[in-house]
Amino acid sequence: MPEAARETLEMEGTVREALPNALYRVELLDEQRTAITAHVAGGASLLRLRPGDVVLVQLFPYDAGRGRIVRRR
Amino acid sequence: MSIQKSWGELLKMAHACRIVIDTLDALEEAAVSGVSTRELDRIAREHIETAGARPAFLGYRGFPATLCISVNEEIVHGIPGSRRLAAGDIVGLDLGCVVDGFYGDAARTVAVGDVSDQARRLMRATREALFAGIEMCRPGKRVGDIGHAIQILAEGHGYSVVREFVGHGIGNSLHEEPQVPNYGPPGRRERLVPGMCLAIEPMVNVGGPEVEVLADGWTAVTRDRSLSAHFELSVAITPFGPWILSDPYPYPEQEGESAHA
Repeated sequence: MPEAARETLEMEGTVREALPNALYRVELLDEQRTAITAHVAGGASLLRLRPGDVVLVQLFPYDAGRGRIVRRR
Repeated sequence: MSIQKSWGELLKMAHACRIVIDTLDALEEAAVSGVSTRELDRIAREHIETAGARPAFLGYRGFPATLCISVNEEIVHGIPGSRRLAAGDIVGLDLGCVVDGFYGDAARTVAVGDVSDQARRLMRATREALFAGIEMCRPGKRVGDIGHAIQILAEGHGYSVVREFVGHGIGNSLHEEPQVPNYGPPGRRERLVPGMCLAIEPMVNVGGPEVEVLADGWTAVTRDRSLSAHFELSVAITPFGPWILSDPYPYPEQEGESAHA
């Protein structure tokens, strides 16, 4: 019996802090204001984000503490 | 991240899968013109219970039957009822059982009487796509390689693959990690390791890949109402390659725990 495909969960968040290795601390705009560590997707990683930037983050089902920044808003 | 099964657990998986295949064989025989889908469901349940197993789908997320029957433009998750099969139908039979805590899951699409060349070609291509996917079930490959092989084969025949439903890990529950899409780029997603068990299940449409779920909340049909076929087998990754769990262990020179590590 096939399983319904899980859609990638995307959520907006605010960059709080730039970490080493092009990683960022992002605060999600969910109710708990969860903070996750996120990397930037694809070639966009060259683009530095600053604290306060609003970004769209993809979340991983396996690791709630990590995400992937898809784009800046 | 995915659960690796021990040799002993794989043997239990194989037992459950064998019961599913034996039942599908009986259902294929029974799927003739005039028989109701409810009758096939009854046969499936009886067969599974006689074999000492329990239906896996009955009650799963509220599914009301033992067997999923999906006729013609129905892709998957069709609910058995009063519909009678007619010559020229192609019928997807999807079945699962649990024995001793381990799940088996398999499906095939069968022809009732004489069916169109189109239908016959679709069924053959979908089955080939399943085996192209199984061929990728080796350590070092990734889940994306399975979907890629399936997509290339199905689209090579001019068909499309369904996106909204995917294959899945299987073991102590019907659906485990990881999800196994039937499309996508190779070399992505989870790495395959020995002891993983996956239900590989391409759903292939003659027309477009779009899906619509009917008002019963289960039956998925092609939006353009084109024919759809579905084949599924549960497969274990061994160090030597795929083991279709309903078949005898295919690498007899290496058996037991040593075959596993």
